[in-house]
Amino acid sequence: MSRAAGALLLWAAAGLAQAQAQAAPDALDWLRRIYQATEKLSYSGTFVYQQGERTETSRITRRAAIGGGVERLEVLDGPPREVIRTRDEIRCYLPDSQTVKVDRRRDQRAFPALLPAQVSGLTEHYSITMDETARIAGYDCQAIVLAPRDELRYGYKLWADVQTGMLLKARAFNRAGETVEQFTFTQLEIGYVSRERLRPPAAARSWRVEQSAVAPANLAEAGWEVHADLPGFRKVVEIRRMLRDAQPADQVVFSDGLAAISVFIEPIAGRTEPPRIGLATMGAVNIYTREVANHLVTVVGEAPAASVQRMGNRVEFHRPQ
Amino acid sequence: MKSKISALMDSELDARELREPLSALGEDGEARETWRTYHLISDALRGGAILSANCAPRVAQRLAQEPALIAPLPSAIRPPERARWFVPSALAASVAAVALVGWLALAPQQGAGPAPAPLAQAPQAERAKEPARLPLTSAAQDYLIAHQAFSPRNSLQGMALYVRSVSDQAAPRKP
Repeated sequence: MSRAAGALLLWAAAGLAQAQAQAAPDALDWLRRIYQATEKLSYSGTFVYQQGERTETSRITRRAAIGGGVERLEVLDGPPREVIRTRDEIRCYLPDSQTVKVDRRRDQRAFPALLPAQVSGLTEHYSITMDETARIAGYDCQAIVLAPRDELRYGYKLWADVQTGMLLKARAFNRAGETVEQFTFTQLEIGYVSRERLRPPAAARSWRVEQSAVAPANLAEAGWEVHADLPGFRKVVEIRRMLRDAQPADQVVFSDGLAAISVFIEPIAGRTEPPRIGLATMGAVNIYTREVANHLVTVVGEAPAASVQRMGNRVEFHRPQ
Repeated sequence: MKSKISALMDSELDARELREPLSALGEDGEARETWRTYHLISDALRGGAILSANCAPRVAQRLAQEPALIAPLPSAIRPPERARWFVPSALAASVAAVALVGWLALAPQQGAGPAPAPLAQAPQAERAKEPARLPLTSAAQDYLIAHQAFSPRNSLQGMALYVRSVSDQAAPRKP
């Protein structure tokens, strides 16, 4: 073996040792505990969502059950929007437009979850460490920091209840350390939740229902090249779905194990309003829109604008042979 | 012919006199070469930005590499074809200029943050290509709902993340 190759090996081994040292096993155990608490606990509480200058208060109620349980989110500020999630579907109740948007969850295995077994894989892209302890909404919490190893993704700080592992607060931050969004429980009760508290709003019975039929898709066959050009982001699913009732769109999802980026491709021809090209932001989610070969490409991702834009700019169309 | 092209550039020809130099310019050849050279000289004399003496073939080559369109465009949502030719380049240039100024203004602050040393830097050119900032629309709501189910962060936060999908900011506004 040459001296250069030997040095390279040593350097790689040192790098690996450093990576392992940076992800304290305790911190990874905390992530596993948070996952299990999210899966197994019944609870009801009020939290504040903060992004930019805006804050919004919501109530979240979860009734755990074998095979999934039911969860309900009610926005308490502004129009009373609600989302109810069961094992098979997500129903969004939007009183402004008197619409129920239904997102069917076709196949559980197709959904990228952060399973306890996959937690250690996160250390490839995030340095995961324990931080201070703090008291939040009456609970003693342990803070865990997931600092990104590059500027392609956001960092996260999580505060979990020492007793149960329940997540009380979550903050996403950018490269400068500035908060891009934050969820904080202001009140939380862990324990029994009755079935009655998860009923859908009665008024919604007469509302219009928008279904999102989902089917497998093959974009490469149709001539599309959608690259996971961001290190660490791998393709997890490729589907064709309905958006806004009758508009078919292809969706390719990439994930680094924690953050996800979706690329939507749909023909411009069927749209009623002109496409708007550019970048929009909602907390830690950036939405980048551009036009490729008479199609609208929309990239939606929990990642910095530059990453989302980079993904969108790599989408290419080649007429199938 | 050279004098006619010179006169054409100076807007000294009347409608009848225009025909001959214009049809000569329509065919590739000496007339067109003269036209390019005179414009280059004129730009140099005025001290304006000079693209390059032979940028035309490269522009043509880039155009040929653009993906082919597979369906007719609906005219209702499109600006006229001629406007489309010029607007994007001018817009891109002004956006790039604004982005560059913005980037220069922000640069010292970014360096001051307590961020970890980045391992993979985005190339500088990508930062300069800042796209237009858009407000959230009701269409964004559909994308946010469709995307949210696939976020592994749901495993840690349950459905709290759906507040983004049904945010009032993205909902259609009542008049």
